[in-house]
Amino acid sequence: MSISEKITEGISIKTVFTIHAFGLTIPISDTVIATWIVMAVLILASLILTRRFREIPKKPQLLLEAYIGFINDFVTETAGHHGKDFAAFLGTIFTFMIAANLAPMLTPIGGFGFEPAFVIKPLTRDINVTAAFAVTVIVTVFFSTFRYKGVKGFFKSLVSPSPVMLPFKLMEYGIKPLSLCLRLFGNILGAFIIMKLIEIVAPVIFPPLAGLYFDLFDGLIQAVVFSFLSTIYIAEAIE
Amino acid sequence: MDVQSAAMIGAGIAVLTGLGAGFGIPLATGKTSEAIARQPEASGKIQGAFLLGIALAEATAIYGLVVALLLIFSK
Repeated sequence: MSISEKITEGISIKTVFTIHAFGLTIPISDTVIATWIVMAVLILASLILTRRFREIPKKPQLLLEAYIGFINDFVTETAGHHGKDFAAFLGTIFTFMIAANLAPMLTPIGGFGFEPAFVIKPLTRDINVTAAFAVTVIVTVFFSTFRYKGVKGFFKSLVSPSPVMLPFKLMEYGIKPLSLCLRLFGNILGAFIIMKLIEIVAPVIFPPLAGLYFDLFDGLIQAVVFSFLSTIYIAEAIE
Repeated sequence: MDVQSAAMIGAGIAVLTGLGAGFGIPLATGKTSEAIARQPEASGKIQGAFLLGIALAEATAIYGLVVALLLIFSK
């Protein structure tokens, strides 16, 4: 197998099974299943961690409270007073992005002629996942403009500071989600391809070292950037 | 030259967009360090603006990568 075939095989998204329901054929790809697993883990973790809260917190509760407090502070600092309404939404995006970008680090070790039992690839290398998140964010931006500025305020925001800006303001509703989606997808896929190349060229010692940068650091930074930009877009809409 | 090899050369040219990000992001990083050195108490706000700036500067490189991928994988 040549290098390009190996990489094509690595980044391809496979259909695991199809559902036939209501006369439709719905293909379920491996990223959808991985998304379900991440969702299940996050939901279970939040159910277990928030059980039995007490007045004097123990270690897990303390960490969780620090994390939630950090998200709340960050969102209210960036988006102002009303930003608190969106802290849960943005915090969920942030948590999911971290889980989705860091999931491949849980792949068991292979090598020396045997394959790892299962391979986890980053969920966000599938453009459909990032596109779904970008659409969710822009729909939230759209409707929060109505909610906080009213219908009149929405149309006023389209022509401020001057009516010349109208076409650009309309274009923004398409460009913002497009760039959000492509940035995350391109970054994660690029890092994934480079990691694949390193694994093929130098399978010993180098992959874990490079993985520290490309998987851990890049994944975290992209999760931060995605939720930060979403926060700024929402802040723009509600201020 | 057939279409396949022309597409490969095109993909190589498309990745040259990385030049822009490669010049821009270090500039922003240098200015950020200068600003933080001058006003350490404003580092939170400076870092926010910096993150936003590099995210936007990086976008050009990412678009180049996406175009290159499209050229390679769409047949």
